[in-house]
This record gives sequence, structure tokens and C-alpha cells, in this order.
Amino acid sequence: MEKKDIIQSFKDSLFTGLIALALFGPIVGLRTVSKGEGLFITPQWGVVFLLVGLCILGRFLININSARRTEFKIFSILSSKFSNVTEDKAKHFAITGILFAVVFPFLPFTDRYFMDVAIMILTYIMLGWGLNIVVGLAGLLDLGYVAFYAVGAYSYALIATTFGWSFWICLPLAGVFAAFFGILLGFPVLRLRGDYLAIVTLGFGEIIRIILINWYEVTNGPDGITGIPRPSFFGLPFKRSPDEGETSFHLFFNLEYSTMHRIIFLYYLILVLALITNYFTLKIRKLPVGRAWEALREDEIACKSLGVNPTNTKLTAFAIGAMFGGFAGSFFATRQAFISPESFTFIESAIIVAIVVLGGMGSQTGVVLASIFLIGITEMFRDLEQYRMIAFGGAMVLIMVFKPKGILANRKPTIFMHGDKK
Amino acid sequence: MSNLLSVENLTMKFGGLTAIDDLSFDAKNNQITSIIGPNGAGKTTVFNCLTGFYKPTNGQMFLHKEDSKISLRKYTDFKIAYVAKVARTFQNIRLFPAMSVLENLLVAQHNELMVASGYSLFGLLNLKRYRDKEQLAVDKAKYWLDIIGLTHRADDNAGDLPYGDQRKLEIVRAMCIEPRLLCLDEPAAGLNPKESAELNKLLKFIKTEKQTGILLIEHDMSVVMGISDHVVVLNYGKKIFEGTADQTKNSKEVIEAYLGVDE
Repeated sequence: MEKKDIIQSFKDSLFTGLIALALFGPIVGLRTVSKGEGLFITPQWGVVFLLVGLCILGRFLININSARRTEFKIFSILSSKFSNVTEDKAKHFAITGILFAVVFPFLPFTDRYFMDVAIMILTYIMLGWGLNIVVGLAGLLDLGYVAFYAVGAYSYALIATTFGWSFWICLPLAGVFAAFFGILLGFPVLRLRGDYLAIVTLGFGEIIRIILINWYEVTNGPDGITGIPRPSFFGLPFKRSPDEGETSFHLFFNLEYSTMHRIIFLYYLILVLALITNYFTLKIRKLPVGRAWEALREDEIACKSLGVNPTNTKLTAFAIGAMFGGFAGSFFATRQAFISPESFTFIESAIIVAIVVLGGMGSQTGVVLASIFLIGITEMFRDLEQYRMIAFGGAMVLIMVFKPKGILANRKPTIFMHGDKK
Repeated sequence: MSNLLSVENLTMKFGGLTAIDDLSFDAKNNQITSIIGPNGAGKTTVFNCLTGFYKPTNGQMFLHKEDSKISLRKYTDFKIAYVAKVARTFQNIRLFPAMSVLENLLVAQHNELMVASGYSLFGLLNLKRYRDKEQLAVDKAKYWLDIIGLTHRADDNAGDLPYGDQRKLEIVRAMCIEPRLLCLDEPAAGLNPKESAELNKLLKFIKTEKQTGILLIEHDMSVVMGISDHVVVLNYGKKIFEGTADQTKNSKEVIEAYLGVDE
């Protein structure tokens, strides 16, 4: 590296610092504090200089790194290593991952907080896998996926609280309702593609949320639905003192009562649901309908010229994707025991789409990695309160910079003539 | 030789523009019928009418079966390929680039496989009757890949093939729906002379062995004159000449349309 390069990158870094100063100066530097009779501005120049300094240093390091010869670049080495591991050993990774997920609740460091985060990540993985059918395979950008999640949650909550049916009956019903809404959304958007489709699905998501808020007689409006029954372990409830004539889980198995039992049961429930979603998707991808989805993503006109019915193909993608969203929704309802329209805002849809896109469109393992990365990072920085969304955004930027096609972008054919070489 | 396709008084108007004007012609079984003409003559529009992408303003198009005939006007969209068995390729290649060569050929057999998989139910249960059908579909794909010499690349992405191979793949993909009429829109565009010769061989094979009528739009005269049994010449949406390849070559009207009139 020449001296000229260093001076050049130093200048560039100073310029970056200037931009950072202009941005952080007013945003971080001038903090408003409400004291007694009014609002006061407290300057925080120390923090500003720290941030600007970090930006200058970071930019300088990036410049120096990119000036080196390609094979010595830290980031490309890192990212190629990462992709080699995951591409060659995707199967190993999947098996290890599932084994780890199975023993996770019994690891010594696992506490209530870890379990909650794990359940949340698994819920997002399941939603990601469900949406992967619509976005990743069929190529229909759906920004209103949370609507099906909401339909599933409310179907479960309403059926369970009104008729008192058990979780195992309500779960498939919730899936059926969500699939029905999937078809309902599918019909008007059949002719739309790309940006237009995204806008309409976005609107659909909002419509469902607004109906949930305003249809007070049925959905209880913004107050939400409380007292949703918890799932039972094949008829054994998780209660400290069961009702007359009932045996609860800990009495039946002769265990000390612990709230963790229910959490662990919920964990395994979502794990199984998610794995079913994954298994189903992997299977159906190899069937004619799965291939038609992918063909539709590639070229709709060519599909028509080959006699593939685009209407049916799109509707099945919407319906099946929505069904898994509905399953996840009913799990969410039974876990929380309380749902309100608050939980189904656009940001949820955005997170799920981000997981699918960042994971690598259509890649099942990619969805897992992206969920762990995005949700995990957001959770790790929970103490920063509203700033944790910066961590979320930062994680997205990092993936897009180093893996522009998503974490795992390579697609494997669904069928081989000469056998799978890898 | 019996008629396969008869186009009667076909007219297609886009607003004030008449793209096809009262066009009538026939295409026969086991023959290659070429449609030629200067740029903008309305050749691709004829194809789009035939294959259900446009609804013609006027006129009829009939596909003849043994004793009956079906009107192509009744079928739009995917049903042209599915019910009427008219297949087509495109001027700009439309493969599924991120899918493998084999998968491309299986998508063309979608409808049979869909029934065989019991609309996915038997497929999800992995029943033998589905697996057997799938194997048959793979065998059919292999048969066609052997013919165009691409069997060794069956598992590669279609988008990674060289241009000439993509053209051939698109044609055999259309053949996988077992069409009665195959419409090819400029299949020789962008091919080198060696590849054009291979294309001619493939088309002759399809014509004689597969008993499929071929409708061909082409600018490459070596292809048109080499293999056409019948040539229809269009200019400004009107038919100006119809005859064999040799007659076309010597026709005054055709030469005028292509080269202009001597002053």
C-alpha cells in the first residue's frame, strides 16, 4: 500500500466524520429533558465526539482493508469461510441445529429468559418458513403476512373462549381460516406483480388490523381478548392446584410444581410446529406444484405457454403460506393468553419479510440463521430500549453488505438426473 | 396432406393501428409453415393471437383434429397449451433461468404430473404411483435432452447454458407438452451457422418423427429456405404472397417488400 492511498483514505475518513457530525450533532447531541416547568436542552457533546470518532476510525479501517489485495481482505475471507461451511454441510448443520434445539431446555445455562427468547425466535422461524412459500418460492412479495398471523390468533382465541374447545381442535381450524383469508387476498391480486402486489398486500394487512380494532362486538376492539385457554399436555393442564376431578401435569408425573414445565412444553410445541412447516415445505417443493411456484417466480408468461394455470398456482401458494401463518398465530394466542390488535402491526410483517429476504430467498436454513441473527441481536440490545432498532437495522445492513443475495443464496435443484453430486 | 390449422380472415387492431388485416392461411400436418416479412409486418402478433395472448378483433382460427375442428378463439391463456395443445417459444428466450434444465422440462409436464400426484396429496404421501409417473417424466426429459445433446448438463441451471443451447432447450421444453402445433418465434436469432444447421436438423426431426405441425417466424433465410414446406409472406399486416420456398424466392412482390421498388 502506498503513502498516497493512506492520505487519500484519511481524507475520506475525515469527510465521513463531517457527515457523521452533521447527523449525530442534532440527533444525539441536543437532548431535551423535561424538568418541572418546561423542556430544557442538555448538550451531550462527549457522546457525539465518541460516535464521530468511531465513524472516522471505522471508515479508515474499511478503506485500508479494501486497498489490500483481494485474498487478504478480512471480510471476504470471513464471508467465504462462512458460506463454505453452510453450503457444503447444510445437512450437518440442520441435524446439529435440530439436536441442539431438542436439548436446549435442559442445558445448564438455560433460564426462563433464554426460553422466552428461544420461543420467540422459533415463532419467527415458523413465520419465516411459512412466508418463504409465498415470497421465496412463488416470488409474490407479500407485505401483509401478519394479517394471516392475526387471523390465526383471533380464530383460535374466539373459538377457544366461545366454545371452550381444546387447543388441538382449534389449531387446525385456525389454519383453515387463515388459508381461507389467503385465498380471499389471493383473488384480487392475481394480476398484480412486484411493487403493486406489495402495496395491495400491505393494505390488506392494515385492513385486517383495523377491522380487529373496530369490530368491537366480536373482537373486543383495542382491549383485545383475555383469558385465552392455555394448552394442556394431552389433557393434563399445567396448574399448581387442579380443579376437582382433574389431574395436573406435575401431579401425574410426580414432579415438583414449576412454571417452567409449561414454558418447556410451549417450546417443544412451537419447535414441532416449525419443523412440520419445514418438512412440508421441503416436500412440496419437490412436487409439481412446488416446481410450478418456482417457475411462476421465474417467468409467468413462459408458465402460461406451457399450460400451467397461474391462478391455481398462485392461490395455492397464498393459501398454504397463510395456513402456516395461522398455525403460528394460534400458538402465539395460546402462549400469551391475551391478544390485541397491537401485536399485529406492520412492523411484524416487515420483520418476517426481512428474515426471508436476508436469509436468502427460498432457503430454509437461511431463514433460521436470519431469525437467530435479527431477533437475537434485537434481544441482546434490549437494555438500549428504543435504540435497539438501530441494532436491528445494523444487522440488516451488515447482511446486505456482505451477503447481498441473502445469507444462503444458492438454490439446489429439486430433482437430479445424474444424482446429487454434493 | 390434411389441414392442421386454418386461419380465416384474422384481423387484429390496436386502437387505430391495424396490425393484422384480414389474414387467411392454412398450415398442414407434418409440414413446416414459415411466416416471413419485414420488421413490424405483424408476424409476432399472429402468434400472439394463435396462442391466446391477444384476443383478435375479427376472424377465426381453427385447429383440426381427425374429424372435428376446435376454435382457438375459445381458449385463452394457459388453456391454449393445456387443452388445445398449441405450444410456442419466444423471440427473447423465456426459460426459467434459476431452475435446472431438467426442472424446466418437468414444468412443461406440469399438468400430467399434477394429476399423477393427486393434486399433491399422493406426492406428499410419496406413493409409488406418483414416483413411477415422475420417473416417466424424467425419462421423457432425458429422451429430448439426448436429441439436443444436453443430457450431461441436465442438472445445471438453464440460465448458465450457452445461448444456442438455451434456444434448443426452449424448443424441446415446448415439445414436452406433446403439442399438435408448435409455434417458433425466431428460433435462429443470434445463432451461428453451425448452430443454425443443428436447429434445422432438430426441426426436421420434430416434423417427421413427431408428426407435429410447425409454424415458424424467421428472418434467417438459410433456415427458412432450407426447411420450409410452405411460406407465407406478410407486409403491413397483409398477406402479400404464399407458396413454396422456391416460388417465394422468385416472387416479385416479396422482393419488392424486402428491397423496395425500382424507380
